[in-house]
Amino acid sequence: MDTEFSQEDLEFQKEVQDFIEENLPKGGDMWSGRSNWFQALKEKGGWDVPKWPVEFGGPGFTPTQRYIFDLEMANHNTPMVLPFGISMLAPILMNYGSKEQQERFLPGIRDHSVNWCQGYSEPGAGSDLASLTTKAVLSEDAKDYIVNGQKTWTTLAQMAQWMFCLTRTSSDGPKQEGITFLLFKMDTPGVEVKPIVTLGGSQTVNDVYLTDVKVPVENRVGEEGKGWTYAKGLLTHERTGLAGIMNSVLALESAKENARSVKVADGTLMDVPAFKNKVGELEVELMALEFTELRTLASVSAGGSPGQESSILKLKGTEIQQRISQLNLEASGIFAAPWGRVNPGPRFSRGAMNGYLSGRANTIYGGASEVQKDVISKNVLEL
Amino acid sequence: MDLSLSEEQTLFQNSVQKFIADNYDLSTRRTLCASDEGFSRENWKQFAELGWLAIPFSEEDGGFGGSPADTMILMEEFGKGLVVEPYLATVVMVGTALARAGTPEQKAEILGGIIEGNILATFAYAEEQAHHELHNVVTSAGKDGDVYLINGTKSIVLNAQSADKILVSTRTNGNDRDTDGITLFLVDGDAEGISRQDYPTVDGLRASEVTFKDVRVSPENILGEPDHGYEMVEKISDHAILALSAEAVGAMEVLYTDTIAYTKQREQFGHPLSDFQVLKHRMTEMFMEHSLSKSLCMKATMLECQGSDEAKRAIHALKVLIGKSSRFVSQNAVQLHGGMGMTEELAIAHYFKRLAIIDSQFGNVDHHLTKFVDI
Repeated sequence: MDTEFSQEDLEFQKEVQDFIEENLPKGGDMWSGRSNWFQALKEKGGWDVPKWPVEFGGPGFTPTQRYIFDLEMANHNTPMVLPFGISMLAPILMNYGSKEQQERFLPGIRDHSVNWCQGYSEPGAGSDLASLTTKAVLSEDAKDYIVNGQKTWTTLAQMAQWMFCLTRTSSDGPKQEGITFLLFKMDTPGVEVKPIVTLGGSQTVNDVYLTDVKVPVENRVGEEGKGWTYAKGLLTHERTGLAGIMNSVLALESAKENARSVKVADGTLMDVPAFKNKVGELEVELMALEFTELRTLASVSAGGSPGQESSILKLKGTEIQQRISQLNLEASGIFAAPWGRVNPGPRFSRGAMNGYLSGRANTIYGGASEVQKDVISKNVLEL
Repeated sequence: MDLSLSEEQTLFQNSVQKFIADNYDLSTRRTLCASDEGFSRENWKQFAELGWLAIPFSEEDGGFGGSPADTMILMEEFGKGLVVEPYLATVVMVGTALARAGTPEQKAEILGGIIEGNILATFAYAEEQAHHELHNVVTSAGKDGDVYLINGTKSIVLNAQSADKILVSTRTNGNDRDTDGITLFLVDGDAEGISRQDYPTVDGLRASEVTFKDVRVSPENILGEPDHGYEMVEKISDHAILALSAEAVGAMEVLYTDTIAYTKQREQFGHPLSDFQVLKHRMTEMFMEHSLSKSLCMKATMLECQGSDEAKRAIHALKVLIGKSSRFVSQNAVQLHGGMGMTEELAIAHYFKRLAIIDSQFGNVDHHLTKFVDI
């Protein structure tokens, strides 16, 4: 048993740090520098798609290398990539898509030229996703599916050129069967996007209405009726990525910084025992969760499965994210209230309320915490 | 990075598991607890033969060159078995201190005896006015010519009744709460001037109030440097916390798995209790608390093995988490067992009590949280 990285891993870490130092766009040109950054990652040998397998152009990282890579990227606050194409759809295409589909869609996903959105949730199908009812009926000439229904909570649908979508092609048998995985363009006639304003005031999620949307049969991924199996694999993938532990470590440090900037009596908020202890308790749990992630990684590195521990990462990770946002909110004091373009009080207070409000979604998306507990009790504890 | 057990460690773990499976059912433990010394000398002999008393010590000192990671493996299994033998007092506390600071003579005499199983020892540190503060030491050792005279009372001294040697922290200089001016002495358990009030503790172990009245000790009995004993007290505390935490992790595992098994067979309202979602979720939370505690126990232990600067902080964090998780897991184990959870008959009652006491040993949640946030 040891937690130290091997010499090779340490060299790899140095390589990643040097790469970031050399290529990360500095200060003001963060946005304009984005495409150069991703190009440099790509030329480095697939670092732009760290999780992709080698045969699809990925770097073939070992689990430890991937951990180090993610750690360094998080620590240096490198540009984020939307997960829908690269992390969510691509693995499904690689595993279940045809050769033609892979050649057609993967390049656009990789170079970020095509934005994707995820058409899963419906008004009647949230945590119980398999009860979805958006209908896809094969046309008489068997060339197209005609899709009718409504998707909801579709993140950034307004910016997407394509949607990957779960549809119902049969209602016979268990609800998990008869679901079909389709891809279509968002400018297809009959697709209508309406924003949903969330409690944080942002417009990132949408309702998407589908009325007689014509989807060519060649845009079906895999077999008809097997879409649930494909999506389920992806949901597991989505959940392990949602714990955001490294980001929470940074977020907690910044929450402490924020609290130190708030003057209270003779000191700062970080001198107030009630507040300081809350920070401490959170940090203790985060330390434990961090090491739990390492245990998962170590067990995968050793050629095993992620182990029982992996199941708790999303559940605990999102709870911690919310508690960090709450610390920022509490540190804002009365300046949590001002809304809009004004920002009286501490600089962080405006973002604090935003983070607190939007963060409520963390324990809902990707399978609500209560559903996660159902899953753990069934699959891990065999209850 | 490799978090799996080595082949040797797996064999070691298996041998501890086998010993407990063969020797440690609940009724045997009850008999041991009720015996004169509260544990089995026979078992202790076996520990020595199996080499368990030699684990953390270097080969130079006659040990096996193990590390706190090996102690963790052992203590986790001891926690599952609710072992009552004085391993913590003798090997972890006094053994650790001797290995670090003992003179060659002290090592030869005492550490050698500990490893062979012939000497039992304990550490007398707690005092009534100190709460959890280890440097709050009033028991004094005043110089009287060439010797020292120890006076004062130490509380909750584990297994003092059986101890051939007592390591005692004393004030030789400064004020009651100074970290400087503390000296550690190795005293014979039956030295003249020592009197004891022995009692069982609620978790089935043994302890004593030990009073020292003009107990004469010579400078050769000092462990480490005079007046500079506090660093060693902290080291002993760190190692004891790591061991106790591993024990707690083992105990928590039994509690949540026993609770799962019980709710599967207990039927009410025409269903096994395990069918009810509110109970499924509770047991999931118990599993999570155990899993996170185990993670942090591994982390802190490894940092200590590596001699890392971060070890101290991780040990404070560990004691906080262990205390909180233990409360959650043990209280819910009783709750989910319903009325049966209140009985002395079931094993969970005994794990419950052991975990409650572990929180009180070497600083509870609040004590360590306060330290943690100030580092």
